[in-house]
Parts: sequence; structure tokens; C-alpha cells
Amino acid sequence: MAHVTTMERENRRFGWLLTAPGLVLLAAVVLFPIVWAGITSFFNYSLIFPGYDDFAGLGNYAKAADDGEFLHSAWITLLFVVAVVGIQFVAGFVVALMLNDARRGKTVYYLILLCPLLINPVVVGLMWRMILHPTLGIVNWLLGTVGIEPVNWLGAPDMAFWTVVLVDIWHQVSFMVVLLLAGLSALPAEPYEAARVDGATPFQRFWHITLPMMKPVIVVTLLIRMIFAIKTYDIIYIMTRGGPGVATDLISYFIYRRAFVSLDLGEACAMAAMLLIVIAGLTAVLWRSMRQVQD
Amino acid sequence: MKVARLDGLVRHLILAGFSASIALPLLWVLRVSLTDKLTAYRLPPEIGQIGLHNFVEVLTQYDFTRWFGNSVFVAVLATAISLPAAAMMAYATARYRTGGWPLMMMVLSSQMIPPIVLVLPMFLVFTTLMPVPGIIAITIAHVAINLPFMAWIMISFFDEDTRSLEEAARCDGATRWQAFTRVTIPVAMPGIIAAGLLGFILSWNEFLYALILGNHSSQTLAVGLASLETHAGVNIAPLAAATLLALAPVLILLPFLQKYLIKGLSLGALK
Repeated sequence: MAHVTTMERENRRFGWLLTAPGLVLLAAVVLFPIVWAGITSFFNYSLIFPGYDDFAGLGNYAKAADDGEFLHSAWITLLFVVAVVGIQFVAGFVVALMLNDARRGKTVYYLILLCPLLINPVVVGLMWRMILHPTLGIVNWLLGTVGIEPVNWLGAPDMAFWTVVLVDIWHQVSFMVVLLLAGLSALPAEPYEAARVDGATPFQRFWHITLPMMKPVIVVTLLIRMIFAIKTYDIIYIMTRGGPGVATDLISYFIYRRAFVSLDLGEACAMAAMLLIVIAGLTAVLWRSMRQVQD
Repeated sequence: MKVARLDGLVRHLILAGFSASIALPLLWVLRVSLTDKLTAYRLPPEIGQIGLHNFVEVLTQYDFTRWFGNSVFVAVLATAISLPAAAMMAYATARYRTGGWPLMMMVLSSQMIPPIVLVLPMFLVFTTLMPVPGIIAITIAHVAINLPFMAWIMISFFDEDTRSLEEAARCDGATRWQAFTRVTIPVAMPGIIAAGLLGFILSWNEFLYALILGNHSSQTLAVGLASLETHAGVNIAPLAAATLLALAPVLILLPFLQKYLIKGLSLGALK
């Protein structure tokens, strides 16, 4: 008995020894910056008058909650996330279902759809700017050949929002396909055989078998994609700089402007802290759903 | 039988349409990169003078090679710092349940934090510590993305596969450290390499930290390409060549990573 406890204690000690370097690094590059941002959010800290002598309490948070531009940016971000994740999910699920039952050409389709996932978002933005250029772009020319007027993809506020949504869909829809396909191919075959014996239609099989069994995978996939969609920054910077006006001013880009254009670091940190709370909430839900997938 | 054939036809029409919408924009950029500057703008498209001159121009007349070098430096160094720490952490979590769920939760949350949250305090810290932050600051920041991601996906690599081998080694008198380094690591090596490559790609594609913590001489590829857009205006032929050169290393890695991609994308939730 005594021997077992020594062994256990040794195990524990060894585990912490192995974990120590990673913990030290994480504390330095993640924990320390978060605490610093938290502290800064309670001060009137600007890049013009840097310093921690003007304590603001919750002033920056109150200012942010009352800031129309901030609320607008939060609203735009919500719309963006819902649009992007929703469309990617539906399109991705259709393609995943098709691929799952495809007998020929599966590898070719799969390799093609993997490509965008690895592409640098900056490159994605540059590429689409070139393709969607109002007068020199190939898309408007192609539309012209079938008699459609040229579209001002990034110049008009409403259109610019949907253009950014479209580009993000092109970039990330494969994420949904890959994960949902992984989930589909792991489903057991027996329920489908039983359903076939009972004469269920393909739609019934999808609705009563596929969907319920896929639910844990679907939830994890949606949550991960949602969290990453909230963080979207690069394609906004490259394609629209939040414009025209504030039509595509997603939250990450807005906070960036508040910090480095308005130079108000204190308020930017307060906004970042609020963003972090939302992400933490979603991560907690993700954590629980990931455990369900593994069980 | 007839229904089945129609079914297959519809299926392949959808899949082909989807694949085309993914591939055609990329092929168009390839086409622009291979043509000469003036033809690149002409609509309807003309063949023009096909050649690699845009690639030569990008490599000789722009700062492209410096950006490329900076990206390699940052991505390799950030991965090299993170990978051993991440592997040890993942192993301890998988085998000895070190830290239990709070540690795992911390690792998961770390990789979900929006870069904009961390970059503000990092900017304050680095501008206090050094007159001009640069490539070292970017590298340190990239550890914040790399380390939790790699640690998280490696946990499942160490889960059960090697436990009995380790126990055999321990019976033969190996220490815990020896069992880990001489038995577990060689067996888990393919997974560790894949995690390292995925971490490399994360760092290679990163933009926000590199933009804010960098200076002119530390521009990475992402930052350099973004500036090319404004400097070169709409000079699209060299721009297309430059974007393709930036993609090359990542696309070359694709076949090696295919097997591990699902694990990487789903953050270890799916195999």
C-alpha cells in the first residue's frame, strides 16, 4: 500500500515536471497579457498620454456600453457570424452527404476542397479583390456576357457586407464539409439497414437517423466555426477596412481601430474584455459538447 | 436502377459544381500570374505572353525574399519553442492526468482567445521593453497561438496506444523520463511531426500579431503582401504571382497532413 502511494506521488511529480515548461510559456504569453489588458481596461490609458495614473473604474466599460459605434459593430458581427456559419453549415452538410455516398472521384473532390482551408486569409482577400474588381474583374465581365449589369461588390454598404460573407464562405465552407464528413463516415450501418427493411424514404432516414446521431458532431462543428468567425479580422483589413462607412466593421477590426487609430487603449481593452467573456462562454459550451462527442 | 443512376448524376453535378467554385478562382489567379502585365487586365481574356516573368519580377524587384525569410524564421522558431513544451504537456495530461480538467480547459480556452485581445497588452509590453518591437516580438506572440493548439491536439495522440510499451520498459528498469523519450516519442513521432507542421501553418498564415508587433524590416509574408496591394496599386500580374508563391509551402505540405487534418481542424474532437 505504501509502495503504491510513493509510486503515485512520483507519477504526480513527474507529470508536473513535464507540464512546467508549457505552463510557464502559457503564463507568459497568454495569462500575463490578459491580466495586463484587464488592468488597462480600468484606466484612462491612451497612446497619446500613456500611463496608469488616471484610474477610471468601470468608466471604460460604461463608455463602451453606451457607444453606438461599438454596439453597431457587435450587431454587424452577430449578423456576419449567423450568415456565415448558417450558410456554410447548410452547404457543407449537403456536400458532406453527397461525398459520403459517392463511390467514384471522392479523393479528387476531397483534395480540391481542402485547398482553401490552408490558404492565408490575406491571400484570400487579395485574390477576391482582384476577381471582384468592379471594372477589371473577371466576375463582372462574366456577368456582363449574360447581360447582368456590373456589380459594385465592395463599394456599396449592403453589397460589401454580403461580399465579405461570400468570401468567408469560400474560404471556410470546407471546414464544415471535412468535419461533418468525418462524423458521417463514423456512423454505424445497422440503423440504416433496419430502416431500409422498414421501407423508410431517404428523407426519413436522414431526419430520423442521420440527424439525431450526428447531433454531437454538428454542435461541436458549429461552435468551433462560430468562435473562429467572431475573430474574423484579416479579410476585413484586406478587403474593406470596415467600410464602406462602417458596413463591415466586425468587432476585431473595430477594437483594432479604437486602439491604434483613436489611440484609446483603455477603452479598447474594456471592449476586448467583453469580447473575451463572450468567447469564454462559447468555449465552455464547446468543452461540454466535446466530451459528449468523445463518449 | 434508373433511379440510382439519376441519383448518382445529381450527386456528381452538385459535387462538380462545388469543386469548380472552389477551384476556379485559384485557377484564375494562376492564369493571371502566368500572363504579362497588360494582358492580365484585358477582358475578354486573351492568352498574351505566357511565362514565369511575374515570378522572376516578384523575387528580384520586391522585398519578397525578405518577407519569405522572415515568415520562415518566425514560424520555425515559434514552432521549435512550442513543440517540445506542448508535447510534454500533452503527454502528462494524457498519461498522468496532470492538472485534471482545469488544465485541459485552460489549454482549450487559450487557443480560442481572439488575437485582438492579446495583441493590445502585448503591444504595450513590447513597446516598453524594446524601442522597436520586431521579429522576436512576433515570434513570442506566435507561441501563444501555437503552443495551446499543438498541446491540445497531441493529447489524443498519447491517449492509450503506447501505455503497455511504456509499462514494459518500466519493468525493464527504465525511468519515467526514459520511457517517455525512448519509447513513447518514437512511436508517437508521426503525430508529433504533424502537430508541428499544423502549428507551422498557423504561424505562417498569421497576420494580426505580425502587423501590429512588427516593423518595416520584420514584415512577414502576410504583412508584406498586404502592403504590396497598396504600393503596387492594381498591378495584378505580379500580385497574383506573389500570392501563389506564398501558398506554395503550405500546399506542398497538404498531402503529408491530410491524415491529421481532421484532428487539427476539429481540435481533436474527431478522428
